[in-house]
Amino acid sequence: MMRRYLKRVSVVVCVVMLWAGVSRAQATASAGTKVTQIKGLSGVKDKTGGMLAVDGSNLHFTHEQLKVDVPTASVEDVVTGADSQRLIHGTLGTLTMFAPYESGRFLSLFRTKLDTLTIKYRDSDGGLHGAIFTMGTGKAELLKKDLLDHGAHSTVPVDENAAKPATKEQKP
Amino acid sequence: MTGNFVNRIGSVVAMAAITLCGASMTGAQQKATPAKMKAAAIKVMLIESNEISLPAEFQVSLYEDLIAQLKKKGGLPHVYRDGDRNADGASDLIVLHTTLRGFKEGSEKLRQVTTVAGATSITVHCAFTDKDGKTLLEQDLKGNVRFFGANLRATFDFAKKTAQLTRESFSPTAGT
Repeated sequence: MMRRYLKRVSVVVCVVMLWAGVSRAQATASAGTKVTQIKGLSGVKDKTGGMLAVDGSNLHFTHEQLKVDVPTASVEDVVTGADSQRLIHGTLGTLTMFAPYESGRFLSLFRTKLDTLTIKYRDSDGGLHGAIFTMGTGKAELLKKDLLDHGAHSTVPVDENAAKPATKEQKP
Repeated sequence: MTGNFVNRIGSVVAMAAITLCGASMTGAQQKATPAKMKAAAIKVMLIESNEISLPAEFQVSLYEDLIAQLKKKGGLPHVYRDGDRNADGASDLIVLHTTLRGFKEGSEKLRQVTTVAGATSITVHCAFTDKDGKTLLEQDLKGNVRFFGANLRATFDFAKKTAQLTRESFSPTAGT
């Protein structure tokens, strides 16, 4: 009796977990990847956070009401890279630089790794544009693969790029 | 009597010194403001970096910062991007070619921790040509980020200097 009950419970738990996982994956796929647009995207301010997704034949960036589409066929180059930023960044990060006993410097040692995605694309007049995005680690390669699948071009093949180690923060 | 004479000589020397000083200042001013070349539009080409490898984000950042700064402070009414078809029909167009001469990628972390180490610097050869490719002006410019800011700030520093050079060397054609 007890064994039967436990079996039922475990099946229900499995189903719920599976459903939660699928719905979360669907939500991520539809909303896109959380990114920060560092610079370059037309009509978007530098260092604007938003969602980036490959939606049909467009690279779609959304930030609140703002929506920018770049046709994937117009993307001439997609390059991924690695970077890092202070764990405590932004305004609070700046304020910590004035913390006593040089503790701000100490906090600079704690950093989070980032992926960078750089694209070059042409507008309707043929003018060349470039845009740089940063995002969580491991997401840039997926976006790049998505872009290439939808007609974008790249000077660096996906596999070769993925094999590269993170070389951005080097000691001089 | 002697006091009067000394006073007169003193005033003559002082006047001569003032005249000489004024003349040299005028000369310096004339040297500092050479005749500006006329231009109505500028087309910015993507940076070339054949000998030194430049990360893609620096290449894009440099190009976008250049366009933004030239629009803001370049003093010319039209700024065209590399490949823009509208530039073909533009009159008095100058073309800005940039070639990478030196690049040292520092470390933001090192700058934040030590303040003095980890600077990023970029040296770029700028060549302003006319539509036919005749060189009008050539100069090497540097962009640095020494103390605060991300590595990409070096490209902003370079772009500001290039926009200033453009404003000082070219004036917009009348009627544009």
